[in-house]
Amino acid sequence: MSLVEARNLTVKYRTFTALNNFSVSIGPGCTGLLGPNGAGKTTFIKTMLGFLRPAMGSGNVLGADIVRDNTRIRQLVGLMPEQDCHIPGISAVAFVAYAGELAGMPAEQALRRAHEVLEYCGLGEARYRLVETYSTGMKQRIKLAQALIHGPKLLLLDEPTNGLDPRGREDMLELIRSISHGKDVNVIVSSHLLPDIERTCDQVVVVAKGELRAEGKIADLTRIDGAPLDVELREPNAGFIMAIQNAGLEFIHALGTTIRVRGPGLPDVTGRTVLEIARTSGVQVRGYGVATRSLEEAFLEVIR
Amino acid sequence: MQNEEHYLSPVADLTYRSYDGPLGSIKMRWWAIAMYQMKRSLKNRFMWVMAVGSGWYYFMMMIIFFFLEQVVSQGGDQGMVQFKQFLARINWRDQFLLGFSYSQLIYFILAWILGASAIANDNRANALLVYLSKPCTKFDYVFGKWMGVFMPLFGLQMLATSFFWLYGGLSYNDYGFMKQAGPVILLMIPVHAMSAALLASVTIGISSLFNQGRTAGSTFAGVYLLTNFFTQFVVLTITSQLQRGEFRLASVSSGLFPLYYCSLDGVQIGLAKILLGTDGSPAFGINSRFPNIPIPATGLMFTAWLLICLAGIFIAWSKVRAVEVV
Repeated sequence: MSLVEARNLTVKYRTFTALNNFSVSIGPGCTGLLGPNGAGKTTFIKTMLGFLRPAMGSGNVLGADIVRDNTRIRQLVGLMPEQDCHIPGISAVAFVAYAGELAGMPAEQALRRAHEVLEYCGLGEARYRLVETYSTGMKQRIKLAQALIHGPKLLLLDEPTNGLDPRGREDMLELIRSISHGKDVNVIVSSHLLPDIERTCDQVVVVAKGELRAEGKIADLTRIDGAPLDVELREPNAGFIMAIQNAGLEFIHALGTTIRVRGPGLPDVTGRTVLEIARTSGVQVRGYGVATRSLEEAFLEVIR
Repeated sequence: MQNEEHYLSPVADLTYRSYDGPLGSIKMRWWAIAMYQMKRSLKNRFMWVMAVGSGWYYFMMMIIFFFLEQVVSQGGDQGMVQFKQFLARINWRDQFLLGFSYSQLIYFILAWILGASAIANDNRANALLVYLSKPCTKFDYVFGKWMGVFMPLFGLQMLATSFFWLYGGLSYNDYGFMKQAGPVILLMIPVHAMSAALLASVTIGISSLFNQGRTAGSTFAGVYLLTNFFTQFVVLTITSQLQRGEFRLASVSSGLFPLYYCSLDGVQIGLAKILLGTDGSPAFGINSRFPNIPIPATGLMFTAWLLICLAGIFIAWSKVRAVEVV
């Protein structure tokens, strides 16, 4: 089942094409929307929320059409915008409760839930303070709280760690990870920060120049063709590399005490061969595992 | 920066509960915005002081008449007869027009309190992001803000008028109050509604142009007071001098009359004169050096009112950009 679906979407700003024949299907869980600046991530979010009308194509969010039912979509999803935003002159609890009322919650339910959500977002003790007096980290949290108030099944988080110090960033990522796992809330995180996506998301959608470049699970994207193994030795050993090549395995590279090898069979078979060679050549292997590339490497490759 | 851990209570319940309660219709979201706007406005004590002050003419009249009656009643029958003759000469319908006209400055202050910062402060805090990320449309936002100014302004204007009408009906009925002013309360509803609509539209329009409530308020005050000065003050001064024969140019005097209505204040008074069907009479029944300005042309006044309202709403509409939300 897909939560967000775009079919051949083309969105233009006058003559500039921001999204070009863009098709994607985003399933449940936590999904990262990755792309360099100007890739079309924000345009995609705007279009999905109904603020931009596609020149061509169609789409739906949680089963609601992006053109016909855009206000319905905004009731079903929670948006945490990138910029600082709040209702001026009121306390955090009043702000979050009002956000709930705007989403259609009855006033008393909104107030009750505002207390719960603020507590969950770590602002319980500061809930009666004016939002204007909040620090940057607290403002990020309250944006998350106002997005969560009406219990959306889909959360859209636009650059959620923007402007946060390392500690605040850690806390926010932990909160996102928590909300997106086992809480029946699906999350789409739009960011250009790969470590943030890697920490919180299970799958990614990579956008570049208004086109879909890759989509899928992070594990799939970071997998390397032929499933090579990274073998960690106690110390570099040229004889061991020679022995591996003689055994018919492909030596890819050595990085410090770690060498990368690829065998013709499954990784398990290659692993057993490596261990056998190590035993016969008297080399100490400290560990091995299927080699992966970083998300950054995968990202750079797909946007190239 | 304060340590954020401080805000996590040791007994905080950090479990997340999903919300499966009711969610209302996505229609009429403007009502939530208007209600919030009103709730916040009605907490402003100064606004209540102004609301009571907006009936100053009525209260002054009631106090003067009350004490006059007390004094006269001690002076014997002759004084009482003269007092009753004085009351019988008063045109009660005109008193509503005077009460409305003399409270214009206070209505302006009320509109200033209620509306000058309505959108400007939202612009400052990026609140539009919050509104439009919820199931609120641009219409909901602009109309909700407009209604949030219009409804309390209209209600507060009606408060003093209704009080005077009730008091007059009970106290001055023997002097023709209900006969003259009985149905006036029904006419005062559109008078105040049109006044509130005009002020709400202008404040909302001006407010949307700025991102500081104070700047928007100053601009609104500037527009209101300057147009007022160059129309009413000038016209009243010149015409009073003309009528006292200082310039001896009667034709110039009558030609200047329409200028009196070329302000926000003037449009409201002009409409009130049209709807009440009177050009007024001296305040408290005492002759004034200022002349009564005749009732303006109906079509012209309604068109001016409509254009000003539409202009204010159009400015607000064009400044609210949904596409800037995310």
